[in-house]
Amino acid sequence: MNFFRDIWNSIVRRDSLSTDKGKSELVFLNVWLHIHPAKVKKEHLRFRHTFYLGFITFFLFIILVTTGIALMCYYRPYPSQAYQDMKDLQCVVFLGPFIRGMHRWAAHLMVICVFLHMCRVFFTGSYKKPRQFNWVIGVLLLLLTLGLPFTGYLLPWDQLAYWAITVGTNIGSYAPLVGGQLRELLLGGHTVGQAALIRFYVLHVAVLPGLVGLLTIVHFWRVRKDGGLSRPLWKLEPKPVEELVTIGAPAEPAALRVSSAAQSKTYGLMEVVTGKPIFETVSPDEEEDTVFAYPYAFLRESIALMGTVVGLMVISILFHAPLEELANPAKTPNPAKAPWYFLGLQELVSHSALFGGVVAPALMVLALLAVPYIDRNPSRRLRERKWALWLFSAFVVANLVLIIIGTFFRGPGWAFIPPWVHVVAGAE
Amino acid sequence: MNRRSFLGWGAAGFAALCSSVAVSFGAVLRYLVPDVFYEPPQTFKVGKPADFAYGPPTFLADEKIYVFRDREKGFSVASAVCTHLGCTVNHFQSDDRFHCPCHGSIFAANGAVVHGPAPKPLPWFEVTLARDGQLSVDKDKVVPSTYHLMV
Repeated sequence: MNFFRDIWNSIVRRDSLSTDKGKSELVFLNVWLHIHPAKVKKEHLRFRHTFYLGFITFFLFIILVTTGIALMCYYRPYPSQAYQDMKDLQCVVFLGPFIRGMHRWAAHLMVICVFLHMCRVFFTGSYKKPRQFNWVIGVLLLLLTLGLPFTGYLLPWDQLAYWAITVGTNIGSYAPLVGGQLRELLLGGHTVGQAALIRFYVLHVAVLPGLVGLLTIVHFWRVRKDGGLSRPLWKLEPKPVEELVTIGAPAEPAALRVSSAAQSKTYGLMEVVTGKPIFETVSPDEEEDTVFAYPYAFLRESIALMGTVVGLMVISILFHAPLEELANPAKTPNPAKAPWYFLGLQELVSHSALFGGVVAPALMVLALLAVPYIDRNPSRRLRERKWALWLFSAFVVANLVLIIIGTFFRGPGWAFIPPWVHVVAGAE
Repeated sequence: MNRRSFLGWGAAGFAALCSSVAVSFGAVLRYLVPDVFYEPPQTFKVGKPADFAYGPPTFLADEKIYVFRDREKGFSVASAVCTHLGCTVNHFQSDDRFHCPCHGSIFAANGAVVHGPAPKPLPWFEVTLARDGQLSVDKDKVVPSTYHLMV
């Protein structure tokens, strides 16, 4: 059947996958796959180096976009309709609770995975030269990952939605100089109402996901341009010093140095638009340490994707996304709690709105953004980075403790009540 | 064109480009600020004086205010919006105080902060008697807690 074979060959213009050329072409002739190198280092595929957290985060984002589009088919962003549409999704739409559950739990998981991914990158020192700016992009993606659920949970127009946004935008109004205007701009008015709902909807379904998509592309691109992932820590053990032989012009001797010829090959890229030729020295064992992205990397990515999807489906079948009562501007629930990932912030805010809601978070974000530029220590070995590890661990633990206090130790009126003490709430 | 005029025109052109970008940015920001707000008015009528009982204050949910009626002093109106982050405070008759459910702020009967994180006392609003005999409240006019309207 030449006819069908011609069609197939017009779509897939590569050699057979049984050849190395075909395996390479699969990657670099395909617009979706060519972010991968044709050959990847085996060490980059090791689960215990990255725990695949970046991939899983990306897959969760794809799931969120997909389920979000599905939810948009039923949801109308009007205060009089929104809650009714949520009830429809909960009760009368085929697969409605499941799709909504997928969306909600994927959002929670994405917050967790982004945070863990940041921890992994920090503890392995992968933000160090030349990856400093990619860490900054990662921090921006973390902020967007928090902004997406924040704008998202106003949409159901239930009690949580209404009061979380009332409190959240009031925190914004404590920002110096621009606070009041910032709140008015976000709400499109002075109170949480129709104007606020449509603005949060636009942010949630267009602006923020668009920004996440764009920054994700830059994030991936830079990983690729920096030679793939960082080396796993266990590959960093000091090697015996080899006798080095210098060849070529002495313009920048470091770039032209190679280890003794018997143990390595030197590849030179002779045609470069500006500057010196680029040499890369690859030792034989390192060359053997690479495998074709097809099938080794793609198989692992597919397993991570399927694991994420299946895990999320199981969670969504077992647990339905919560929906509180219809928003009631007259009655604040007691206690009024934000979703868990904002309870650390709420705990800070309960002590002081200006310090806890503006100063402390701003300092935290600035510190995170500045991490690769403050930490000038070039070493990635754990025992040579004691200060950095202690400081970052303290940051992580402080955030977890605040979230745990806010979640389990705060009762009606935000009073400190341990979870093992049962309190009968007074009249509200 | 000599070097001097090239640099002059270049600088002028660059300044023009920068300022038009800045103006466009400002215009977009301004576009996002509505000129008409479809929100409840700040001045509104709450009913005849006889509608309000003495003793515990009356909570008006839509307006988020507490209307107090005292036998000696008359009417006064307090905001029910916590000055911390905008939750609705509850007036407890048991201790005659306002309690905020969100972050635990407590206000005394005169609106003063008794306990935590609220930075300012609850404001009191001007209440007047309208021509039709109804009480009228103006949320734009904040008055001392000692302000009362005797009817």
